[in-house]
Amino acid sequence: MKKYVYLLIALVFNMACEDVIDVDLPDQETRLIVDALFRVDISQPFVPVEVKLSLTSNFFEENVPTSAESVVIIYEETVDNVVVETRSSSLAETSPGSGIYVPDPNFSFDQRIPTNVLSRDFVYFLYVRHQGRLYLASTKYVPTTPINSINQGTGTLFGDDETEVVVNFSDDPERDDYYLFDFGFGEYLVTEDEFFQGQEFEFSFFYDQQFFPGTIVEISILGADQTFYNYMDQLIEQSGDTQGPFQTPVSTVRGNVFDITDLDNIDVFDNVDQPTVFPLGYFAIVQEYTSNLFIEE
Amino acid sequence: MQHKPLVFGFILLFVSLSLFSQTKYTISGIISEASSNETLLGVTIAIPSLRTGVTTNEYGFYSLTLPEGDYELQISYLGYQDIMRTVSFTKNQKINFQLTEKAEMLEEVVVMENVEKLNISKPQMSVNTLAAQTIKKIPVLLGEADIIKALLLLPGVSNAGEGASGFNVRGGAADQNLILLDEATIFNSSHLFGLFSVFNPDAIKDVKLFKGAIPSRYGGRVSSVLEIFQKEGNSKEFKMSGGIGAVASRLLAEGPIIKDKAAFLIGGRASYAHIFLPLFDIENKAYFYDLNTKLSFTINENNNLYLSGYFGRDLFSLSDRFENVYGNSVGNLRWNHLFSDKLFSNLSLIYSDYYYGLELDFVGFKWNSGIQNFNLKYDLKHYLSDTFQVNYGINNIYYTFNPGKIIPNSPDSGILEEQLIKKYANEFAAYVGVEHTLSEKLSMQYGLRFSYFMRLGQEELNVYENDNPVVFDPFLLVYQEATPTGTINPDRGERLATYTNFEPRIALAYTLNPDNSIKMSYTRTTQYLHLLSNTSSPTPLDVWTPSGPFLKPQLQDQYALGYFRNIDEGAYSFETEVFYKDIQNRIDYIDGANLIANNSIEQVILNGNARAYGLEILLRKNTGKFKGWLAYTLSRSEQQTPGRVPFEDTGRSNKETGINFGKWYSTPYDKTHDISLYASYDLNKKWSFNSNFVYQTGQPTNYPVGKFEFQDLTVPFYGPRNEERLPSYHRIDVAATLNPKKNVGRSWQAEWVFSIYNLYSRKNAASINFRRNQDTGANEAVRTSIFGIVPAVTYNFKF
Repeated sequence: MKKYVYLLIALVFNMACEDVIDVDLPDQETRLIVDALFRVDISQPFVPVEVKLSLTSNFFEENVPTSAESVVIIYEETVDNVVVETRSSSLAETSPGSGIYVPDPNFSFDQRIPTNVLSRDFVYFLYVRHQGRLYLASTKYVPTTPINSINQGTGTLFGDDETEVVVNFSDDPERDDYYLFDFGFGEYLVTEDEFFQGQEFEFSFFYDQQFFPGTIVEISILGADQTFYNYMDQLIEQSGDTQGPFQTPVSTVRGNVFDITDLDNIDVFDNVDQPTVFPLGYFAIVQEYTSNLFIEE
Repeated sequence: MQHKPLVFGFILLFVSLSLFSQTKYTISGIISEASSNETLLGVTIAIPSLRTGVTTNEYGFYSLTLPEGDYELQISYLGYQDIMRTVSFTKNQKINFQLTEKAEMLEEVVVMENVEKLNISKPQMSVNTLAAQTIKKIPVLLGEADIIKALLLLPGVSNAGEGASGFNVRGGAADQNLILLDEATIFNSSHLFGLFSVFNPDAIKDVKLFKGAIPSRYGGRVSSVLEIFQKEGNSKEFKMSGGIGAVASRLLAEGPIIKDKAAFLIGGRASYAHIFLPLFDIENKAYFYDLNTKLSFTINENNNLYLSGYFGRDLFSLSDRFENVYGNSVGNLRWNHLFSDKLFSNLSLIYSDYYYGLELDFVGFKWNSGIQNFNLKYDLKHYLSDTFQVNYGINNIYYTFNPGKIIPNSPDSGILEEQLIKKYANEFAAYVGVEHTLSEKLSMQYGLRFSYFMRLGQEELNVYENDNPVVFDPFLLVYQEATPTGTINPDRGERLATYTNFEPRIALAYTLNPDNSIKMSYTRTTQYLHLLSNTSSPTPLDVWTPSGPFLKPQLQDQYALGYFRNIDEGAYSFETEVFYKDIQNRIDYIDGANLIANNSIEQVILNGNARAYGLEILLRKNTGKFKGWLAYTLSRSEQQTPGRVPFEDTGRSNKETGINFGKWYSTPYDKTHDISLYASYDLNKKWSFNSNFVYQTGQPTNYPVGKFEFQDLTVPFYGPRNEERLPSYHRIDVAATLNPKKNVGRSWQAEWVFSIYNLYSRKNAASINFRRNQDTGANEAVRTSIFGIVPAVTYNFKF
C-alpha cells in the first residue's frame, strides 16, 4: 500500500518536462554584429580595443566572422560645446578573415588608446564601413567600484547541482550606478543601485553546476550606463537563462550601433523611415575589476 | 327619497370603478431549499397559461404582479422537483416556496422545458451558466472540482495554457474579467499558478459568466463578469461535507445558530503535497489554503443580514532562500431589505485586500505590495409588473494601491528601506436598467451606467516636458523613459485626473416561435484599473494600477448577435453567437519595460487599441442517461500600438514606429479554434462516467529569425510579434464516480472519484525556448510541457 501511495505522489508531480524538439524556423535576415565591449583595467597603460565583426545566422548554425572595409575609432573632447581635441585610432584585422579588429600595429604612430584619456571627458565614436554600408556607434567611459570579496557559500536554490558564490561590493553614494556582473560560462547578472545607494551590498549567485575542487572561477564587475544596462538586461533574458511559464514579450534587442549610410544630416536625420535597417551588437568602454575564487570541497 | 340620486351615484361609481381598474395584485416571497432553507437563485416561476414567467433574484426573492384572477404557477429549478400550484391573485400576498431535491438524479434534465422556453424569450444572451452539480462532475486535474476549469469547457472562454492563472473571455485579457464572490471583487482567481481556482466548490451555490450583454448593474471591467454566490448555511440542521484528494483536501461545516432564522457556514481547503517533498530530498514548498465563512440572519420577513468572509493564501518557497506569499482577503456585510412586495434592496459594505509578499534571503530583502479597497453598493430591484422591472443603484469603491515596500530582512543586509509611492483612487457609478417585455415576441433589456473615476493626490508625482512621459529616440528607434522635469506633491484630496463615462447597455430578444429566437446586444463598458503584466498570463508579480493623468481608462464596445433554439421539447438545445469587440486605450509596454518597483509606470507604457471577433456554437444534450455538450469557438484577438501622432511639427520626419511597426499583432491569448466536448454517462445508481476532450490552436509565440553572439551570450532575434504558433493543444480527461451501495439509508454519504487527466499523455507545449545547450554547446529549441498523464483519486463525503 505504501508503495502505491509513493507512486501516486510521484506521478502527481509528473510536471514540467523539458524536451528538445525540432522546430522549423522562418527565413532569416542576415545582419552585421558588432561586438565592441572594451573591458578596461585602469592599472594597465592601454585600453584593450578589440572589435569583433560577424554575420548572423540561422539559430541552429554558427555566426560567421566577416571583414570590413575600414574600422576606425574617433574620440573627441568637448568643452562648452566646442571640440577642443580630436584623436583617432585605426583598427586592422588580426589576420585575414578573423573578423577581429585591433589597433593597427602597422601605422606610423601608435594607434592604441591610452588609459589616461579615460579620466577626461571624451566621447568615443566607432565607425565601421562594411559591404558598402557605414555604421556608427558612440559611447562614453563608465567607471565602476571594485569587488570587496567573493566567498563560496553552501546553500542551494533549486537543487543540489549548484554552487553558491557570495559577492560583496560597495556602491558609490555620489552616482546612480548600474552594474554588470560576468560570472563566466556565459552567465551574467545586471543590477542597479536604486535600493542600496551608497551601501555595502552583498548577494548570492548560484551556478547551476558543481565545480571540481581546485577550479578557479573568475568573476568580474563592470560599469554600465542606463542604455547598456537595459541592453544587457534584455540579452540575458533572451539568451534563455530565465525559464518557466512567465514569458516576456520578445523583441529584437537593438544595441547602440546605427546604419547611417542613408542619413545625410541635411534632410534625413534619423532612422524613422528605415526601421528594418539596423545592425546588432553594442559599443561600450567600461571599467572592469576581476576577482578569482578558488573552489573548495 | 332625497338620498336616491346620491345612492345611485355611489352605485354608478362603484360599478364603473370595478370595470375600469384591471386591478393587479402582487405575490412575492422567497424560494428556498426544503432541507436547508438555502435560498435558490434563478428559480423559474412560469405561468404556462400566459406564456410568461419570472425568476428569483440573487437572494431567492421573486415578485409577480398579475391582473386579478387565478393562475397556475409552475416552479422549477434544476435538480429539484417541480411545484405546480394554483394561486389566486385577489390580494397582495407573501408566498414562500420550498423545493425538495430530486431523489432520482438519473432522469435529471439539465434544463427544464419551460425554463428553456423562458430562456429563449429572455433578452439576456452571451451567458455561460453551470450548476454546482455539473461543476463537481467534470473531470479536472488532480481530481479537484474547479469552477474556472469547468467554465473553460464552454464557448468563448479560454486560458493562456496550463500553469497560467486567469482566463480569457472572447479574446479579452485576463485582467478584464470582473470576478465577484458574494458581491465582493476578487483580484486573483487562482492558487498555485493556475492549478486550482480560489473558489471552494462545496461553498458555492451559483456561478454565472456574462461574456457580453452585461447588464447595467455591473461595471469596472470590460470583458466579462463572473458572478459567484456562496451558500448561506443550513439553518435546519448541522451538516458537514468534504473531500480528500491526492494534493488537497477540503472540509465544510454548516448549521443553524437559531433554527430557521440564523445559520453559519465555514469551509476550508488546504493542500499538503509539500509535506511529502522532503521524502524526495526536495526542500522546496508550494501550498495553498483558503477559508470561506458566512453568517446569515433572517431578522424578520422583510430583512436579512449576511456577514461573509474569504481568506486565501498561496505560499511558494525555495529552500528558505526565496519565499513568496500572496492572496485575497475579503470581508462583506450585506443587508437585504424589502421596502414593499415590489421593491427589493440590497446594501453591501465590503472590504477587500489583495496582498503580495516576497522574501529573497540571498539578496537580503522583503517586499510587500498590495491593493485595498472599500466598497459600498446599494442595489434596488423594482418589480413593477410581470413585464416591466427596473433595477437601479449606486456603487462606490475607494482604492489604495501599494506598489511595494522594500525592507532589509536582516541587520547586515545592504538594502535600504523604501516605500514606493502609494496611489489612491475612487470609482463611483450609478445605474438604471430595465427588463421590459414589450409583446409576446419581443422583450428588451436596456439601461445606462454612469461611471465617474477620480485619481487622487499622492506623495510625489512626476512632471514631464509637454506632458510626455515616454520619448521616442529616432536613432535607436526605441521608446525610452523621459526624464521628469520636476515633481509635485498633491494633497490626497486633490484630483490628478477625472474620467466620466456613460455606458449604454441594450439587449433584445425576438421570439420567432417558442422554440426559436434571435437575440442581439450592444454593450459599452469602461475599465479604470489595469493589470500591468509583462507576461502572457497574470502572475502574482503583476501590479494593478489605476488610471490617471498619463493612463486613460479602457473603453470597450461589444456587438453580439445570436440564434437560440430548443430541439425536441428541450431534449437538445442549440445556441450560436457572433460577436465583435473594439477596445480603446489598451496599453502595451515599451521594450525593456521594467514594471516591478517602478514608481512611474507612465514612462514605460504606450496606448493602443485592441479588437476581437468570433463565432461561438454550443450544442447540448440535456436528457437521458447520456448527456453533454459540444462547444466550438472560432475567434481572433489582436492589438495594435501605433506610433503616436507627433505633437510638434519641427519640419523633420517625426514619425514613431510604435510597437511591431504599428501593425496589428495577435494578443498572447488569441486562439483560432477552441473545441470542447463534454460527455457524461450515468450507467446505474452506482457508477457514472464523465469525460472531456479539448482541442485548441496553439498559442501565439515568437520564433527567432536568426541568432547573434555577444560576449559569450547566444541571443536569438525575432521578426514581427506573435506571428508563429505553438503546436496545437489537445487532451482527453476521464473520470469515474462510484456511489457505493452502502450509502443507501445511512447519514454518511460517500463517493469515490477516479480521474485521469491527459489520458494519452500528450506533451502540450507551454512554451518553446531557444537556447544554447550547456553541455554540447549547440543551439536547441526546448519545449516545456507541464502535465503529462496525471491520475488521481478523491474521496468525497457528506453527513
